[in-house]
Amino acid sequence: MRELVTTFAALGDVTRFAIVERLLSRGALSAGELGDVADISAPAISRHLKVLREAGIIKQTVDRQRRIYSVAPAAVQAISHWTKSHEAFWNASLDRLDTALKNGD
Amino acid sequence: MATLTIEREFEADPGTVFDYVSKTEHLLKWWGPEGMTVPEHQLDFARTGPWQSVMQGAEGQRYKVSGHVTHVDPPHSVGFTWAWHDENDVRGVESHVTIKLVPAKNGGTLFKLDHVDLPSDEVAANHEQGWTSSLRKLEKLANG
Repeated sequence: MRELVTTFAALGDVTRFAIVERLLSRGALSAGELGDVADISAPAISRHLKVLREAGIIKQTVDRQRRIYSVAPAAVQAISHWTKSHEAFWNASLDRLDTALKNGD
Repeated sequence: MATLTIEREFEADPGTVFDYVSKTEHLLKWWGPEGMTVPEHQLDFARTGPWQSVMQGAEGQRYKVSGHVTHVDPPHSVGFTWAWHDENDVRGVESHVTIKLVPAKNGGTLFKLDHVDLPSDEVAANHEQGWTSSLRKLEKLANG
Protein backbone atom coordinates (compact mmCIF):
# COMPACT_ATOMS: atom_id res chain seq x y z
CA MET A 1 0.00 0.00 0.00
CA ARG A 2 2.91 2.31 0.75
CA GLU A 3 4.18 2.05 -2.85
CA LEU A 4 0.72 2.76 -4.12
CA VAL A 5 0.58 6.04 -2.21
CA THR A 6 3.99 7.04 -3.63
CA THR A 7 2.78 6.20 -7.12
CA PHE A 8 -0.35 8.29 -6.77
CA ALA A 9 1.55 11.21 -5.24
CA ALA A 10 4.08 11.21 -8.09
CA LEU A 11 1.31 11.09 -10.66
CA GLY A 12 -0.59 13.93 -9.00
CA ASP A 13 1.16 16.53 -11.11
CA VAL A 14 -0.18 17.47 -14.55
CA THR A 15 3.22 17.42 -16.26
CA ARG A 16 4.28 14.09 -14.80
CA PHE A 17 0.88 12.67 -15.55
CA ALA A 18 1.20 13.84 -19.17
CA ILE A 19 4.63 12.20 -19.41
CA VAL A 20 3.32 8.85 -18.16
CA GLU A 21 0.28 9.10 -20.38
CA ARG A 22 2.46 9.64 -23.44
CA LEU A 23 4.84 6.83 -22.51
CA LEU A 24 1.90 4.47 -22.06
CA SER A 25 0.41 5.35 -25.42
CA ARG A 26 3.62 5.64 -27.46
CA GLY A 27 6.05 3.28 -25.69
CA ALA A 28 9.71 4.14 -24.97
CA LEU A 29 10.75 7.72 -25.74
CA SER A 30 13.79 9.94 -25.22
CA ALA A 31 13.72 13.07 -23.06
CA GLY A 32 13.76 15.12 -26.26
CA GLU A 33 10.66 13.39 -27.54
CA LEU A 34 8.92 14.19 -24.25
CA GLY A 35 9.91 17.87 -24.36
CA ASP A 36 6.63 19.10 -25.77
CA VAL A 37 4.27 17.49 -23.20
CA ALA A 38 4.29 20.80 -21.33
CA ASP A 39 5.46 24.34 -21.97
CA ILE A 40 8.46 24.06 -19.67
CA SER A 41 12.25 23.94 -20.01
CA ALA A 42 14.33 20.83 -20.66
CA PRO A 43 15.81 20.90 -17.13
CA ALA A 44 12.28 21.06 -15.72
CA ILE A 45 11.32 17.99 -17.76
CA SER A 46 14.44 16.25 -16.42
CA ARG A 47 13.38 16.99 -12.85
CA HIS A 48 9.96 15.50 -13.46
CA LEU A 49 11.54 12.43 -15.05
CA LYS A 50 13.72 12.06 -11.97
CA VAL A 51 10.69 12.16 -9.62
CA LEU A 52 8.92 9.53 -11.72
CA ARG A 53 12.05 7.37 -11.81
CA GLU A 54 12.53 7.59 -8.04
CA ALA A 55 8.89 6.64 -7.50
CA GLY A 56 9.52 3.57 -9.65
CA ILE A 57 6.93 4.59 -12.23
CA ILE A 58 9.29 4.88 -15.18
CA LYS A 59 12.60 3.26 -15.99
CA GLN A 60 15.53 4.65 -17.91
CA THR A 61 17.77 2.85 -20.37
CA VAL A 62 20.65 4.28 -22.39
CA ASP A 63 20.83 3.86 -26.16
CA ARG A 64 24.22 5.25 -27.30
CA GLN A 65 24.11 8.86 -26.07
CA ARG A 66 20.38 8.98 -25.55
CA ARG A 67 18.42 8.24 -22.41
CA ILE A 68 15.25 6.35 -23.20
CA TYR A 69 12.28 6.30 -20.82
CA SER A 70 9.44 3.82 -20.52
CA VAL A 71 6.78 2.96 -17.94
CA ALA A 72 7.81 0.30 -15.42
CA PRO A 73 5.52 -2.77 -15.58
CA ALA A 74 5.27 -2.88 -11.76
CA ALA A 75 3.86 0.65 -11.69
CA VAL A 76 1.25 -0.24 -14.25
CA GLN A 77 0.20 -3.11 -12.03
CA ALA A 78 0.14 -0.87 -8.96
CA ILE A 79 -2.26 1.53 -10.67
CA SER A 80 -4.87 -1.19 -11.06
CA HIS A 81 -3.83 -3.00 -7.88
CA TRP A 82 -6.19 -1.15 -5.56
CA THR A 83 -9.35 -2.25 -7.31
CA LYS A 84 -8.16 -5.78 -8.01
CA SER A 85 -6.95 -6.58 -4.50
CA HIS A 86 -10.19 -5.40 -2.90
CA GLU A 87 -12.28 -7.16 -5.47
CA ALA A 88 -10.47 -10.42 -4.66
CA PHE A 89 -10.90 -9.86 -0.91
CA TRP A 90 -14.62 -9.20 -1.12
CA ASN A 91 -15.45 -11.90 -3.63
CA ALA A 92 -13.61 -14.54 -1.62
CA SER A 93 -15.30 -13.39 1.59
CA LEU A 94 -18.77 -13.18 0.04
CA ASP A 95 -18.46 -16.73 -1.29
CA ARG A 96 -18.05 -17.77 2.33
CA LEU A 97 -20.95 -15.56 3.41
CA ASP A 98 -23.13 -17.29 0.81
CA THR A 99 -22.12 -20.70 2.19
CA ALA A 100 -22.69 -19.63 5.80
CA LEU A 101 -26.17 -18.30 4.94
CA LYS A 102 -27.10 -21.52 3.11
CA ASN A 103 -25.91 -23.65 6.00
CA GLY A 104 -27.76 -21.38 8.39
CA ASP A 105 -25.06 -21.88 10.97
CA MET B 1 -10.29 7.53 -7.37
CA ALA B 2 -11.20 3.91 -7.75
CA THR B 3 -14.66 2.49 -7.14
CA LEU B 4 -15.45 -1.15 -6.73
CA THR B 5 -19.04 -2.40 -6.88
CA ILE B 6 -20.02 -5.97 -6.17
CA GLU B 7 -23.57 -7.29 -6.36
CA ARG B 8 -24.83 -10.63 -5.11
CA GLU B 9 -28.18 -12.23 -4.56
CA PHE B 10 -28.87 -14.29 -1.46
CA GLU B 11 -31.86 -16.55 -0.76
CA ALA B 12 -32.04 -15.42 2.87
CA ASP B 13 -34.23 -12.44 3.75
CA PRO B 14 -32.69 -8.98 4.40
CA GLY B 15 -33.04 -9.30 8.18
CA THR B 16 -31.00 -12.51 8.24
CA VAL B 17 -28.40 -11.17 5.81
CA PHE B 18 -28.11 -8.00 7.88
CA ASP B 19 -27.34 -10.09 10.97
CA TYR B 20 -24.60 -11.90 9.04
CA VAL B 21 -22.96 -8.68 7.84
CA SER B 22 -23.23 -6.81 11.16
CA LYS B 23 -22.86 -9.17 14.14
CA THR B 24 -19.48 -10.37 15.34
CA GLU B 25 -20.41 -14.04 15.72
CA HIS B 26 -21.63 -14.18 12.10
CA LEU B 27 -18.93 -11.94 10.61
CA LEU B 28 -16.25 -14.31 11.90
CA LYS B 29 -17.75 -17.12 9.77
CA TRP B 30 -16.95 -15.41 6.49
CA TRP B 31 -14.58 -12.46 7.06
CA GLY B 32 -11.54 -12.85 4.82
CA PRO B 33 -10.68 -15.28 2.03
CA GLU B 34 -10.82 -19.05 2.63
CA GLY B 35 -7.78 -20.28 4.55
CA MET B 36 -7.38 -17.04 6.53
CA THR B 37 -7.93 -16.94 10.25
CA VAL B 38 -8.85 -13.83 12.24
CA PRO B 39 -6.80 -14.08 15.45
CA GLU B 40 -7.51 -10.49 16.52
CA HIS B 41 -10.66 -8.58 15.84
CA GLN B 42 -13.14 -5.95 16.85
CA LEU B 43 -15.71 -6.79 14.20
CA ASP B 44 -19.02 -5.22 15.10
CA PHE B 45 -20.95 -3.43 12.38
CA ALA B 46 -24.15 -3.38 14.45
CA ARG B 47 -23.11 -0.10 16.06
CA THR B 48 -21.11 2.97 15.06
CA GLY B 49 -17.58 3.19 16.38
CA PRO B 50 -14.14 1.74 15.71
CA TRP B 51 -13.52 -1.68 14.15
CA GLN B 52 -10.44 -3.64 13.20
CA SER B 53 -9.35 -7.10 12.19
CA VAL B 54 -6.06 -8.92 11.84
CA MET B 55 -6.19 -11.72 9.29
CA GLN B 56 -3.57 -14.41 9.22
CA GLY B 57 -2.64 -16.56 6.24
CA ALA B 58 -1.53 -20.19 6.27
CA GLU B 59 2.15 -19.18 6.29
CA GLY B 60 1.69 -16.81 9.22
CA GLN B 61 1.59 -13.57 7.24
CA ARG B 62 -0.64 -11.00 8.98
CA TYR B 63 -2.87 -8.42 7.38
CA LYS B 64 -4.44 -5.74 9.51
CA VAL B 65 -7.28 -3.54 8.40
CA SER B 66 -9.15 -1.01 10.51
CA GLY B 67 -11.71 1.75 10.34
CA HIS B 68 -14.77 3.32 11.85
CA VAL B 69 -18.38 2.24 11.45
CA THR B 70 -20.07 5.41 10.21
CA HIS B 71 -23.69 4.35 9.88
CA VAL B 72 -25.94 1.44 10.74
CA ASP B 73 -29.48 1.24 9.36
CA PRO B 74 -30.89 -2.27 9.93
CA PRO B 75 -31.84 -4.14 7.81
CA HIS B 76 -30.99 -1.76 4.94
CA SER B 77 -27.40 -0.60 5.07
CA VAL B 78 -24.15 -0.28 6.93
CA GLY B 79 -21.16 1.93 6.16
CA PHE B 80 -17.60 1.91 7.43
CA THR B 81 -14.20 3.35 6.62
CA TRP B 82 -11.37 1.01 5.69
CA ALA B 83 -7.57 1.16 5.61
CA TRP B 84 -4.86 -1.50 5.52
CA HIS B 85 -1.94 -1.24 7.92
CA ASP B 86 1.58 -1.87 6.70
CA GLU B 87 4.16 -4.13 8.39
CA ASN B 88 5.02 -1.29 10.81
CA ASP B 89 1.34 -0.90 11.71
CA VAL B 90 1.13 2.44 9.87
CA ARG B 91 -2.39 2.95 8.61
CA GLY B 92 -2.57 3.57 4.87
CA VAL B 93 -4.97 5.37 2.56
CA GLU B 94 -8.53 5.37 3.80
CA SER B 95 -11.44 4.14 1.72
CA HIS B 96 -15.14 3.73 2.41
CA VAL B 97 -17.35 0.66 2.24
CA THR B 98 -21.13 0.75 1.98
CA ILE B 99 -23.26 -2.39 2.06
CA LYS B 100 -26.88 -2.07 0.94
CA LEU B 101 -29.55 -4.73 1.23
CA VAL B 102 -32.70 -4.60 -0.87
CA PRO B 103 -35.58 -7.11 -0.63
CA ALA B 104 -35.74 -9.32 -3.74
CA LYS B 105 -39.00 -10.56 -5.28
CA ASN B 106 -38.54 -14.17 -4.15
CA GLY B 107 -38.12 -13.15 -0.50
CA GLY B 108 -34.37 -13.11 -0.86
CA THR B 109 -31.94 -10.22 -0.71
CA LEU B 110 -30.08 -8.16 -3.25
CA PHE B 111 -26.71 -7.39 -1.72
CA LYS B 112 -24.73 -4.43 -3.05
CA LEU B 113 -21.29 -3.47 -1.83
CA ASP B 114 -19.52 -0.24 -2.87
CA HIS B 115 -15.89 0.21 -1.93
CA VAL B 116 -14.79 3.73 -2.79
CA ASP B 117 -11.30 5.07 -2.46
CA LEU B 118 -10.94 8.22 -0.37
CA PRO B 119 -7.39 9.49 -0.68
CA SER B 120 -5.89 11.01 2.48
CA ASP B 121 -5.65 14.81 2.71
CA GLU B 122 -1.94 14.65 2.08
CA VAL B 123 -2.36 12.70 -1.12
CA ALA B 124 -5.41 14.70 -2.13
CA ALA B 125 -3.46 17.95 -1.78
CA ASN B 126 -1.09 16.76 -4.49
CA HIS B 127 -3.89 16.05 -6.85
CA GLU B 128 -4.93 18.38 -9.59
CA GLN B 129 -8.58 18.81 -10.41
CA GLY B 130 -9.91 16.09 -12.65
CA TRP B 131 -7.67 13.53 -11.02
CA THR B 132 -10.39 10.89 -10.91
CA SER B 133 -11.11 10.90 -14.61
CA SER B 134 -7.40 11.18 -15.36
CA LEU B 135 -6.61 8.11 -13.30
CA ARG B 136 -9.34 6.13 -15.01
CA LYS B 137 -7.86 7.12 -18.35
CA LEU B 138 -4.41 6.07 -17.22
CA GLU B 139 -5.70 2.78 -15.87
CA LYS B 140 -7.37 2.12 -19.19
CA LEU B 141 -4.14 2.81 -21.07
CA ALA B 142 -2.20 0.68 -18.60
CA ASN B 143 -4.54 -2.25 -19.14
CA GLY B 144 -4.14 -1.90 -22.89
